[in-house]
Amino acid sequence: MAHSNWAEWIYLGVVTALLVYVGAEAWNVERIIDHAPEDAEIIKVTAQQWLWTFEHEDGTKEVGELHLKKDHAYKFELTSKDVIHNFNIPEYVVLLDAVPGRVNTVWFSPNEVGEFDIQCREYCGLIHYNMRALLIVEDV
Amino acid sequence: MSKIFQLSIIIVTLCIIPTISLVFAAETAGEYIDRKAEIWNLFFRMMTIAFVVGGVIAGTMVWQVWRFRESNPKSKPTPYEEKGEL
Repeated sequence: MAHSNWAEWIYLGVVTALLVYVGAEAWNVERIIDHAPEDAEIIKVTAQQWLWTFEHEDGTKEVGELHLKKDHAYKFELTSKDVIHNFNIPEYVVLLDAVPGRVNTVWFSPNEVGEFDIQCREYCGLIHYNMRALLIVEDV
Repeated sequence: MSKIFQLSIIIVTLCIIPTISLVFAAETAGEYIDRKAEIWNLFFRMMTIAFVVGGVIAGTMVWQVWRFRESNPKSKPTPYEEKGEL
C-alpha cells in the first residue's frame, strides 16, 4: 500500500537530533569540569574504615576535618587503604570513588564560606553511616 | 552490508571514541567554574529533553489509539478486512 512517510522522517530526525544534543552536551560539560586550573592546590585524601585523612601540599595533615579557602581551587587525589569508599561533598556536587591501589582525581572551588558535610557514599562496612568529615571554608 | 555496519560500530566503540576521549583529556589547564551550577544546569537541560521526548511519544500513542479506534467515523476497514480475510 503506497503511503507518504514524511512524518516518520521528521520524527526520526527530531529524536536523532535530541539524542546527539544530549550526548554532545553531557560530554562537553564533563570535559569542562574535569580540567583543574593550573594553580589548584593538590590535597591527598586517604579513605579508610571509617575515617578521612587529608594531606595539604605543605604536608599538613587533618583527620575528620578539612580547612579550605574560599575561591581557591583544590584538586583532590583520592585513594583508599582498605575497601572502596566514596568521597562526597553534597553541597559542592563532588562525588568520586576512593579505590585501593588507585588514585582518582576531582577538583572544585568552594565559593561559599561555612561548614559543609563530607560523607562516604559507598557502603564500606559496619560504621559506614558515620564515616563523615567536616569541610570548613574560610574567607582568607 | 549489515556486517560492515556492525563492524564499523565495533571499531568506533573500541578505537575511535577512546582515542577522542584521551586526546581531549590531555592535561590542559581548566578555568575556574562553578561546578555545582554546571552540573545542575546540565541536569535540568537533560530533564527538559527527557520530558519533551516522553511527551512526544506518549502523545503519539494517545493520538494513534484515538484516531484508529473502531468507533472513529473516519476509520475504514483495511484491505484484508474488506476482503473478509481476517
